[in-house]
Amino acid sequence: MESRRGFLRKGLLGTALLALGGGAFLAFRRTLRAAKPRAALSVLSPDEYAIFAAVAARIVAVDGDSPATDAVDVAGRADDAMAQWPDSVQVEFRRLLRLFENALTGAVTRTGYETFTASRERRQDERLAAWAGSRVAVFRSGYQAMKRLACACYYAAPESWPATGYPGPPELPFGEIE
Amino acid sequence: MKLLAADRPIANLMRGREIGSNLVLSADVCVVGSGPGGAIAAARLAAAGARVILLEEGGSFTRKADFHMQEAEAYPKLYQDHGNRATDDLSITILQGRGVGGGTLVNWTTCFRTPEATLALWRERHGLSDFTAERFGPHWDEVEKRLNVHVVDAAEVNDNNAVLMEGAKKLGIGTELLRRNVVSCLQTGACGMGCPTNAKRGMALTYLPDAAERGARVYADCRAVRLVLDARKERVTAVEAEVLDPATDRPTGRRVTVSAARFVVAGGAINSPALLLRSGLPDPHGRVGKRTFLHPVVATIALFDRRIDPYYGAPQSVASHAFIERPGRTGFFLEVPPLHPMLASLALSGFGAAHREGMKLLSRTNAVIALLRDGFLPDDEGGTVSLREGGKRLSIRYPLGETHAEAMREAMKVSARIQLAAGAREVRTLHKDPVVVRGERDLRFIDERPFGPNLLGVFTAHQMGGCAAGADPKASVVDGNLRHHHLANLWVFDGSVFPTSLGVNPQLSILGIVAASAERMIATG
Ligand SMILES: Cc1cc2nc3c(=O)[nH]c(=O)nc-3n(C[C@H](O)[C@H](O)[C@H](O)COP(=O)(O)OP(=O)(O)OC[C@H]3O[C@@H](n4cnc5c(N)ncnc54)[C@H](O)[C@@H]3O)c2cc1C
Ligand code: SF4
Repeated sequence: MESRRGFLRKGLLGTALLALGGGAFLAFRRTLRAAKPRAALSVLSPDEYAIFAAVAARIVAVDGDSPATDAVDVAGRADDAMAQWPDSVQVEFRRLLRLFENALTGAVTRTGYETFTASRERRQDERLAAWAGSRVAVFRSGYQAMKRLACACYYAAPESWPATGYPGPPELPFGEIE
Repeated sequence: MKLLAADRPIANLMRGREIGSNLVLSADVCVVGSGPGGAIAAARLAAAGARVILLEEGGSFTRKADFHMQEAEAYPKLYQDHGNRATDDLSITILQGRGVGGGTLVNWTTCFRTPEATLALWRERHGLSDFTAERFGPHWDEVEKRLNVHVVDAAEVNDNNAVLMEGAKKLGIGTELLRRNVVSCLQTGACGMGCPTNAKRGMALTYLPDAAERGARVYADCRAVRLVLDARKERVTAVEAEVLDPATDRPTGRRVTVSAARFVVAGGAINSPALLLRSGLPDPHGRVGKRTFLHPVVATIALFDRRIDPYYGAPQSVASHAFIERPGRTGFFLEVPPLHPMLASLALSGFGAAHREGMKLLSRTNAVIALLRDGFLPDDEGGTVSLREGGKRLSIRYPLGETHAEAMREAMKVSARIQLAAGAREVRTLHKDPVVVRGERDLRFIDERPFGPNLLGVFTAHQMGGCAAGADPKASVVDGNLRHHHLANLWVFDGSVFPTSLGVNPQLSILGIVAASAERMIATG
């Protein structure tokens, strides 16, 4: 039986590693820690934090009109949200991030031989697109998991609203009414 | 004018943080779950003199302390799996409420009675011979009065819903104004985040206080882990629940055990079958968790040159059932969802610049949703709920086949036509690579897009089935009185008993059908 997000164990990891054969040296390329945690992390490691921060930056792709994903600390918000998840879901999501980062995945999806964090933006977008439209259903699920968390954490932040035209919750026409 | 109904506390409510030791309790009836099914059952049973204990795994929330119209706060607190519930492959996003009041805390207040066509199908195909409007009608009358269900005024239709009404009218497609269960609604648009004015007549303000005033005791933050059986596996003897810490939603280590003469499972579709499976109840034909229906939803997103402000105003006020009867094919109905930034960002396809562009146009965006009436075709068995990790987690599978794909494509074409007729500059589908529709000739691309898990955004806010009612124990879990086929003192009273989906929004069906069934339960002493 395939489990929800258990695809990582049987699906993503299995598929990617089997396909890779001799390229194991790529698997050990280091994560570029461009983004650093602002506060103590509850779930993610500093590497995983940096990976998710890099993923979120490309998914949300802010322009001049609104704060960057790092400015609203999307990865920190994700870490907070994940603290409420069951342990097994946390484990699977962290595994997903490390697999996505892995240079081997880039090789398999023909999106370069670098880790995701060390890749150029164009390459990063290509890897996201490769997963989003992969013929392997579990890659598409993995992409969805990352996209949803990144979008949820960014667009939940009031700082992101002005550029969407959302003026925020309406003022209620009364104060504290008993 | 008095704008706000006062917070009406539920007497006899105990929250997780107040439970400092293991509790062993006894009652005449123990009810698990406090959504429409559990709440009206508790109210009816308590009114008939039964000592009722109700266990709810979610927290207890009030307007003043908890509802701030903020998505970031609302989804983790008020939705199943902290807002992350989905099918195993993440291809269907599942919005489902959680807390004292269940789905009524966050639902969009649309009220429909069960359509006659649905009742007729259940009578004919599922042997539910007395599922009739005559039997349920008086209960619906009473519920509608208690919840102040009434048709919205045309002036209350916001610009978002007006797109459906006006576009459909231009094409000669019938629509109707909806009925809502609200009092003095201020049209904040925040229904999905909990009503900040107490306008919404959900269970936490109606049947749960009613039940409590008749002596029912409500335990929030208490998750029923399993039902305990007697040695002969003929009766349930107790419910074992774990107390959750509301701050972390993790078990505190305390337990609540309730023994009772009768038990009602009302955890909603998905959770009720899961509880039955966890408890190892007799299920000789393997029916528990089968026939799970979702009203799978597809949407089309329309861009206008004018402001739509889809986040304000009564969330749903217009619907079309013009496409519900499609002989030999899956029918669908059309409604309009509110769009707040976070929910919109999850729905919109793609990532990066294209996604961002869509988000920047939110204030001029409208969405029309099509909800599929699943389970009506003879071979449409819906999805399956099962357990994994030793029962700690759920598995939800829902294969989308060619009949769903056909209905979804047709629905997207219809809704795109409606949006264009209402003046949309362009319409986009939620395919991985969205189809952009600017005129009739573009609609054919909808047929050409690949269909499969995570290639098209699909959602559900209506979960049904999993403990199907039916006359034949080989094909169902509970009988026509919603009593378990194999356990004499167990009833299932929620949306999980529907043997198919409904073709309309579920809350009123659950309330009326459960009220009538609770009456039977009371009559059997
Ligand atoms: C965003 C949204 C909008 C909607 N809009 C509408 C609408 O406009 N009109 C309409 O008719 N319907 C709407 N619905 C659907 C409607 O709210 C549900 O169909 C309805 O609430 C289901 O009722 P129920 O009694 O079956 O279960 P629920 O309302 O799901 O209640 C079950 C309760 O049991 C609790 N529970 C589950 N398992 C356990 C356990 N093991 N121990 C203790 N407690 C447990 C759950 O936490 C939950 O609170 C909407 C739903 C959503 C999510
Ligand atoms: S729209 Fe009305 S019922 Fe819904 S949350 Fe706002 S005030 Fe409450």
